[in-house]
Amino acid sequence: MNILSVTNLSIDYVGATSVFHAVKNVSFDIAPGEFFGLAGESGCGKSTIAFAISRLHRPPALIRTGSSIEVDGRDVLALDDDELRRFRWREVAMVFQSAMNSLNPVLTIENQFYDVLNTHTGMSRPAARDRAAELLELVDIPTDRLSAYPHQLSGGMRQRIVIAICLALSPKLIIMDEPTTALDVVVQREILQRIDKLRHKLGFSVLFITHDLALMVQVSDRIGIMLEGELVEVNDAQTIYRAPQHDYTRKLWAAMPRLHGAQTAQDAVR
Amino acid sequence: MPLLSQLLQNKKAMVGVVILAFIILVAVFAPFLSEYSPTQRVGRPHQPPSLDHWLGTTRLGHDVFTRLIHGARVSLAVGFGAGLMIALIGTVLGILAGYKGGVIDEVINFFTNLVLVIPNLPLLLVIAAFVGQASPLIIAVILGLTSWAWGVRVTRSETLSIRQRDYVKSAEMLGEPSWRIMAFEIFPNLISIVGINFIGSVIFAVITEATLEFLGLGDPNTVSWGIMLYNAQNASALSVGAWWDLLSPCFALTLLGLSLALINFAIDEVANPRLRTGSMLGRWKRMVRVGEGKL
Amino acid sequence: MAFLLRRLVFYLAAFIAAATINFFLPRLMPGDPIQIMFSGAGSNLSMENLNALKLTFGFIDAPIGQQYLAYMQSVFTGDLGRSIKYYPLPVTELLGRALIWTLGLVGSATIVSFVLGTLLGVMAAWRRGTLFDTVVSLLAIFSSSVPGVVISLTMLFVFGYTLGWFPNGYAADPMLDPEFGWTYILSVLHHGALPMFTMVVLLTGGFAVTMRNNMINLLGEDYIVMGRAKGLGENQVMLWYAARNALLPTVSSLAISVGTILGGSLVIEVVFNYPGLGNTLYQAILARDYPVIQGQLLIMTSAMLVSNFVVDLSYVLLDPRLKKA
Repeated sequence: MNILSVTNLSIDYVGATSVFHAVKNVSFDIAPGEFFGLAGESGCGKSTIAFAISRLHRPPALIRTGSSIEVDGRDVLALDDDELRRFRWREVAMVFQSAMNSLNPVLTIENQFYDVLNTHTGMSRPAARDRAAELLELVDIPTDRLSAYPHQLSGGMRQRIVIAICLALSPKLIIMDEPTTALDVVVQREILQRIDKLRHKLGFSVLFITHDLALMVQVSDRIGIMLEGELVEVNDAQTIYRAPQHDYTRKLWAAMPRLHGAQTAQDAVR
Repeated sequence: MPLLSQLLQNKKAMVGVVILAFIILVAVFAPFLSEYSPTQRVGRPHQPPSLDHWLGTTRLGHDVFTRLIHGARVSLAVGFGAGLMIALIGTVLGILAGYKGGVIDEVINFFTNLVLVIPNLPLLLVIAAFVGQASPLIIAVILGLTSWAWGVRVTRSETLSIRQRDYVKSAEMLGEPSWRIMAFEIFPNLISIVGINFIGSVIFAVITEATLEFLGLGDPNTVSWGIMLYNAQNASALSVGAWWDLLSPCFALTLLGLSLALINFAIDEVANPRLRTGSMLGRWKRMVRVGEGKL
Repeated sequence: MAFLLRRLVFYLAAFIAAATINFFLPRLMPGDPIQIMFSGAGSNLSMENLNALKLTFGFIDAPIGQQYLAYMQSVFTGDLGRSIKYYPLPVTELLGRALIWTLGLVGSATIVSFVLGTLLGVMAAWRRGTLFDTVVSLLAIFSSSVPGVVISLTMLFVFGYTLGWFPNGYAADPMLDPEFGWTYILSVLHHGALPMFTMVVLLTGGFAVTMRNNMINLLGEDYIVMGRAKGLGENQVMLWYAARNALLPTVSSLAISVGTILGGSLVIEVVFNYPGLGNTLYQAILARDYPVIQGQLLIMTSAMLVSNFVVDLSYVLLDPRLKKA
């Protein structure tokens, strides 16, 4: 059974006089433990899809009837408010684009773990603190940081803490929306390696969203390419890299500067 | 101008403008709307509203309706006059402080904070007490000279965020003189803030003038809504049951305040789409109701 | 810490500014400043008493610099002179009594309005686009564009005269002796209800709009979305993620509105004949009791400064980002 099954997903932004079709009839699946990358330029709809999986959209966004989103066989679009609340973070967790702003500025790190642990499992404070320490260890953050506030920590640390909070309820799918764009390349690599290690250890799937195709090829199992709301190509990473099928995918590769002079000349001919 | 056309389509703005226009027209045509003079004794004291006197008479036998429509002139004049002064000083100082920065900013900021921290009405009262019976003109001047602080703050913070923008930087590179940049690059982008500041200042001026006159600091010979309140209060209008004497200027002030507030609210909505209330989601709601989609 | 110290220095400067205004006002008006200041005295005061008063206010036979210093000395030693109307009652005592009544009225009204207004603002922002939001926003805007005078008079008319639910003036039944007995306290509460209610009507709107706008400005922030994504309850996100953060700018705007609050209370006290600072100032103006008038300005400015400082303190407590400093 696929962890995520998206079928005929269409999402519109409804304006006063016109409608913007952000996502047009997109279908793809993610298998358990798979690392799936969704690539495309800004505004192509990849973040819109990410938000839709946990149904985090607000008006004027609208998920059109006929769309289907299933997580581990469960119809996400059919969940009522209570079920949805319980579903969130337990089944699907999310890392947002700038972790700098993902943490509530007025809560200590400990409280940011406590509120989600307590709400979902009724854990007491001491138990939550232990669990939080456990999770921080997974991302190599010293436990004394529990009493700190977000602004007292560096960007990289905050990002790792968000990842740790994501793992709190052992979700089946973690969505990462451009998690490393705001960080330098060294930290980027570190974080991706860490995610990979955790993935192999804990077995969750990853939906990884970025505009950086080259980065994605290094870490993903399969990749989907989006263009203006449509999914134009889905394939395993190596095929996307060596033998892109769709015109747009080829253009994406061609747009990237290469380090090897001879190959550049060859690509230009292609 | 996109701002203006959007405003004209805004219901709240329209209602506000219509009411305001109505009040202005009444004020302008006051002498033609009533056969009485506002300062002459034309009836018996404290007569209830009747066909002869639509809003009754005051304790001195003046026609309340006539005084009301003539009073509109003074309240509007002081309101807009002082409001203009307040907004002007506030905007100029705010742009100067925000754009120039450095010492100019420090100095303006310091004095603005100082003025802000001294309570407004008590200060005005003390000044008015020393001035004696203040005519509406003097009241307007005093208001203009003391109440600009809030506008400076707001304008300054907007200017600070605008001054980093590309078109300002490029104008600086081209060597445009400061005053030109402030007037032609920065100011046009502050229009909605300045507009809100202006109308807010007018509201403030109208309210404060009425309050000062109510407290007996105005010239009792003026015909204005504030003085009407003052006279009614002194005549113990409420205790003797002459409610029309007191509630007429109350109603007029409320109406004027409401119309200005609506206009201000509308400007804010148009300029700040995020702060909008209701109605923008009509189409979306319909689609959800019909079952075309969900969140 | 440095933050608080800077604020204290500023407040000191503001206080000196107010005293300076006091010093120059009579001297800037046309005519003899001494005549203006003590015109209300008439034959009330003996020569020596008058001279003592002159000294307090710096009207000595010396250059203006020394006059200024003399006045400042009086102010900083707590000598605000004596009331001309109620001679020889010291201004500080007169104002001190009135201050208690004003604190009761303004204090309770501000707390109630702040809590009520903030809650309404939070709910209006959370339910943005609904009828609730539109109604609350419009009502709030209206209540701040109508003069306090008008609201007070209308309240008095409806609830005091027409419906007769509340008395028409004074802090308590004039027939009763002030004491800490039950009858007196009940009378105080009964008399204070309408002025306080009027003040709440006057202030709530402003707080509601401020909180609403502050909330809306941060509703797009990532941590709000993350709060919802975490599966936390709507109310929990609304209160602990949104409102708790929007509270910071709202509290700082509270500091600024203290001036308006004092002004509003002044008008309400006059309309309801409530013996607070505002009414005392008003009576002093009618009697041209300038020592009291000037003392008022200082006391009210001090009230502003103290409440600003209290807000500064709570800001430091509320915002973890300031704690580090």
